[in-house]
Amino acid sequence: MAAWSGACIFIALFTTNPAYRALVLAAAFATLAVSVGLARMRRMLIGGGLIVAVDILLNFVSAHLGRTVLFALPDAIPGIGGPYTLEALAFGVSNALTIAAAICAAAPFSLLLESHDVMDALPNVLSRTGTAIAASLNLVPSIVASFAEVSEAQRFRGWRPRGPRSWAEVVVPVVLTSAESSIQLAESMEARGFASTPRTTYERPRLDRSDWLVVTVSGLAVVGFVAAHAAGWAADWDAYPSLVAPRIDLPALVSCLLLFAPVLVWRRRV
Amino acid sequence: MATARLTHLTYWYPGAATPALYDVSLVIGEGVTLVAGPSGGGKSTLLRVLNGLVPHFHGGRIAGSAEVAGLDIIATPTRLLARTVGFVFQDPELQAVYDTVEREVAFGLENMGVRTDEMHARVDEALVEAGAEHLARRRIRTLSGGERQRVALASVLSMQPDLVVLDEPTSQLDPEGASLVLSAVSRLAETGHAVVISEHRLERLRRMADTLVAVDGGSVASHEPAAWRPPQIDAPVRRTAPAGPEAWSLSGVSVGFAGHTVLDRVDIAGHRGEVVALSGPNGGGKTTLLRTIAGTLSPLAGKVERRPGRIAYLPQNPTALLHRPTVRSEVELTLGRSGAVDNPEQILAALGLLAVAGRYPRDLSTGERQRAALAAVLPGRPDLVLLDEPTRGMDPAARDALMRLVVALREAGSAVVLATHDTDLRNALADRVATVDGGTVTELHAVRA
Repeated sequence: MAAWSGACIFIALFTTNPAYRALVLAAAFATLAVSVGLARMRRMLIGGGLIVAVDILLNFVSAHLGRTVLFALPDAIPGIGGPYTLEALAFGVSNALTIAAAICAAAPFSLLLESHDVMDALPNVLSRTGTAIAASLNLVPSIVASFAEVSEAQRFRGWRPRGPRSWAEVVVPVVLTSAESSIQLAESMEARGFASTPRTTYERPRLDRSDWLVVTVSGLAVVGFVAAHAAGWAADWDAYPSLVAPRIDLPALVSCLLLFAPVLVWRRRV
Repeated sequence: MATARLTHLTYWYPGAATPALYDVSLVIGEGVTLVAGPSGGGKSTLLRVLNGLVPHFHGGRIAGSAEVAGLDIIATPTRLLARTVGFVFQDPELQAVYDTVEREVAFGLENMGVRTDEMHARVDEALVEAGAEHLARRRIRTLSGGERQRVALASVLSMQPDLVVLDEPTSQLDPEGASLVLSAVSRLAETGHAVVISEHRLERLRRMADTLVAVDGGSVASHEPAAWRPPQIDAPVRRTAPAGPEAWSLSGVSVGFAGHTVLDRVDIAGHRGEVVALSGPNGGGKTTLLRTIAGTLSPLAGKVERRPGRIAYLPQNPTALLHRPTVRSEVELTLGRSGAVDNPEQILAALGLLAVAGRYPRDLSTGERQRAALAAVLPGRPDLVLLDEPTRGMDPAARDALMRLVVALREAGSAVVLATHDTDLRNALADRVATVDGGTVTELHAVRA
């Protein structure tokens, strides 16, 4: 999974061509839809959609470059005045494709894997650090609940949110309680022999043939794309000064299509 | 045969002038040793000596000697003592490292470097011993508090310790959860484990205990469990004034989240100078009803009415609120904002906090912190007092202080609503009891005229 995610993110960041970025996004989205299911992707899609929309809007509003002017606001308006161009919109969309592809490619780590899967996959030298991080993540839900409970209870004591300093009355007790919780968790780990000897694991992850296939194909996708780029068969793209259609070359296209491999081999793990 | 032996042991926490344990000599044998005593008396410290958390984790100074299963506790790090002494903590929310039960139970074995094939057998065996075999495939976050504590117990049993120590394992649990844990402890005792357990709910444990160790003021004394009598607490004063006019009411109120109805067409009302207790199972809607009365949740349908006035709300974990430099300043903060002209000393004295009024509240013992939180939330003359599981985790002294305070508030004309599993509290305080189950108030009866 790490190899495939890494390959997707690498290609999406390496190229400036929106066609390839879109292909990477399609591969990542299709893989997620097959392995996770659309229902569990809902929150991620909403969050990702918001980020992408903000990115497109920001570029459209702030980059007054390009020759194809769609409309213009008076220059006198601070911040948003000036011409609004098709090129700026296209550039924003292209960047948004990269962000969306990266989110979808990284999402399997949280949607498909348990924290212990990640810890098991870590090399021995990192396993203690990984365990400590996973344990501390377990405290997050109680911290969130504590924040809601403390802010509600402080309101009944007369607290009102008036400016950043007023939040100290909620944040300080939550932070203090979280620190105490962390100490208790550390005690619990110490009392069960944490860091007493080299650790073994309950389940050592094993890669089967389909996993090796995905690793191999992901490696081929990266190598193929970089080679194609070096040979001039994975042309970059720029929206400015005039909008042109991105060029698509067969070697780069094939490299991107390899990223669809998990769609065929990963079964749904809902 | 002695499993653990402490000899003339004295321990000071870092920076403390007085010792938390003083000249303790104690022999712990097989069977169940019940540790009793007030909060702040030294119970948790004594238990933490047994697995070396005191002094290795907490620091401080220690004198005397301590050994467990032939190991010198003072010279052996806790992480190595973990193979000999298993320790279950109070709060089930703060012990889990992994997200699934099986893995959580295996955590200690992984730390011990046990082979994978052996680990599986030991995990299965420990889950059976703790009565948690049916939970093996569950996610930790889906478990109730009682189930979590059973998993915590299994996770120490898998390490096959000579001694199992449980520090108030039921203090954060409802009666059903506590019963689950105590059944598991009972099973341990029957299978010959050496168990040390500290608890406030002594009735059931006294029957199975072989020894009772009373800890108070850092001193320790062993007793015959049947012969030992806990300090008696007087029942609170009964009603002297009749209930007043209606203070709050819900008419046909429905409340829900994300399409799920939690309260369904509820009709209920309370009066000034009256205590209404909400009982019922976990998830039945008690807290939602309380928050609806408080006005923090808006109903989907129906009408909520409250007489104008100040609301005092005690959440389930009130000690989390404490953040001021002294206990007195916590009280002054609430009084100042409520516009009440009461003297802070009044509530501090009522709760037995005058001696610690100038101290940082988070440095106090658990029981003192609980009373400090009560003092922070309930001063002045609130018109409506809402208490959510107010005795959860409370020691008898804090519980007694709470009862007296509620009686005083009721006599002063406050309308009081308390959501609680605590039958003793209900019997002592409630004028009427409403059973909230499945989002409906199924019963509303007067406890006394």
